[in-house]
Amino acid sequence: MKLTFAGMDGIIILSAFAVIMLVIGYLSGRGEKNLHHSLSGYYLAGRNLGFIALFFTLYATQYSGNTIVGYAPSAYRTGFSWLQSISFMTIIIGVYLLFAPRLYVVAKRKKFITPTDWLEFRFKSKAVTLLSIFLMLWGLGNYLLEQLVAIGQAVAGMTGGTIPYQIAVIAFVLVMLAYEWMGGMKAVAFTDVMQGIILMVGIFVFLIGALYLVGGNFSEVTNYIQQSEPAKVAVPPAETSINWLSMLVLVGLGASIYPHAVQRIYSAQSERTLKKSFARMAWMPPITTGLVFVIGIVGLMLFPNLDTGGSEQLVGLMANKIAAIHPIYYWMMIIFFGGIVAAILSTADSVLLSFSSMLSNDVYGKFINPNASEHKKVMVGKVGGIVAIFGLLIIAWNPPGTLYQIFVLKFELLVQVFPAFVLGLYWKKMSAKPVFLGMLIGAALSGYLTLTGHKTVYGIHGGVIGLMANFAVCVLGTIFAKATAKSALKEEDVSVLELKA
Amino acid sequence: MKNDGIKEPIQKKWIWLLLLLIVLAIVPWYFPESAVEPFVFGFPLWAFLSTVFTLVLSAYLSWLCLKQWNIVEDEEEAERAEEAQR
Repeated sequence: MKLTFAGMDGIIILSAFAVIMLVIGYLSGRGEKNLHHSLSGYYLAGRNLGFIALFFTLYATQYSGNTIVGYAPSAYRTGFSWLQSISFMTIIIGVYLLFAPRLYVVAKRKKFITPTDWLEFRFKSKAVTLLSIFLMLWGLGNYLLEQLVAIGQAVAGMTGGTIPYQIAVIAFVLVMLAYEWMGGMKAVAFTDVMQGIILMVGIFVFLIGALYLVGGNFSEVTNYIQQSEPAKVAVPPAETSINWLSMLVLVGLGASIYPHAVQRIYSAQSERTLKKSFARMAWMPPITTGLVFVIGIVGLMLFPNLDTGGSEQLVGLMANKIAAIHPIYYWMMIIFFGGIVAAILSTADSVLLSFSSMLSNDVYGKFINPNASEHKKVMVGKVGGIVAIFGLLIIAWNPPGTLYQIFVLKFELLVQVFPAFVLGLYWKKMSAKPVFLGMLIGAALSGYLTLTGHKTVYGIHGGVIGLMANFAVCVLGTIFAKATAKSALKEEDVSVLELKA
Repeated sequence: MKNDGIKEPIQKKWIWLLLLLIVLAIVPWYFPESAVEPFVFGFPLWAFLSTVFTLVLSAYLSWLCLKQWNIVEDEEEAERAEEAQR
């Protein structure tokens, strides 16, 4: 988006944010000798995140800059049926309740670092481990790429092009790498507290400004839309409802088993902090994606008749208008755009950390050099993460078009880990072979559907169709192979899974 | 699996049945085409009702987290209290 109002003022605010993040990163790592010599110290903050840090790191990681910059245009284009964004962000907590309570206990007892540790413990199969590493790294890489593209667009837009796209990305990536290097998960979580607060405040101010511009009367906006584009307020057709339901499945299952989301379960200080954090998170969608939805709808009255490309600039267009109301709003909009950058960073840093942890613990630690010291493993992950970032940057220089479409894409493969991940927790007979086949078939099917342009079939996402096939193979395969297959679980493993002391 | 004294959501069927019902109330498949008016707080009627059920979902999930999940909490909190005393 292009913002003409910012320029130098934007640079000042962005620099201030960058400095604060670096200071937080430095303070998180200071005096922690163990941090860089232990996988759980560096990647899981010593499994000791308290309520405030855990809540904000869940929040700021789950809600990214795209939640604003991408979802307001979605509301603009689809109208009131974009209310689905509140429910699909809320349902994630419901899916957590399926597995997080038991996984938390098992992970603490068996000292898991990555989601792969759980799958390896459960299935003891190299094939399952390797395929899941591939799917998760693929999903994380794509997600990270999307964040890198978004940082550049937000900063370049906010500074009115004073900071060009490439320089913006490099500068903020360096800041992120620096604080992450110094403090690991602890730095990521503590910067998330700051980044999350700026995001919340930013959305509120933006909403107030937007409502001010339409005379403070939301009903008038709806009346206006009903006159000009009645389809956007009408009861959605059946296919939209099916798509809505499909979105609940895809986002709910996909977002809850994101590797960085799972590692936040591992990082919790206690069951109490974890459940308190989730309980608060259940209320965040109405005041995050819900408010962004209202912003997008108001945009329909302020800037009618934008095409798809034009609507992608909606937040920038509105910010310009809001900034012109009064100097206070002007500064608030600059802070708001800083908030968008902060929100993107808070997601990118978590994804990068998770990516590094899988390089450290899974790729290097399980397959290349299992006997390496933890210090060495941590170093491999840190350096590997930096190499990966610069690889992705090369791709980011040619950013793809609509942000939201990449968002759906990354879920399609990642979500295929779900059956193994969750069914395995409760179904002790489940065996590795059908799990592997299910994952493979599910991933191939959803990849094929997506690549051949069948992103949805009758409103159902390709990823969900692949997931259904995946579940079917896992379940039927386990039932029919039961006679021949021996369980991978030893007696002591079973007692851990059954939560016996 | 039977472990007395612990609360785990997966073990209670009613939790998931109720969750499914709330989700089915959120997705607006059951409204007649006329459910656009009246507008309530600027929301078309169907959108308003869907949003109400979305808020019910938040409240329900939040309550489940706090009240229907207790596996190792007592043990952990007792340990922490002990450590704090030392």
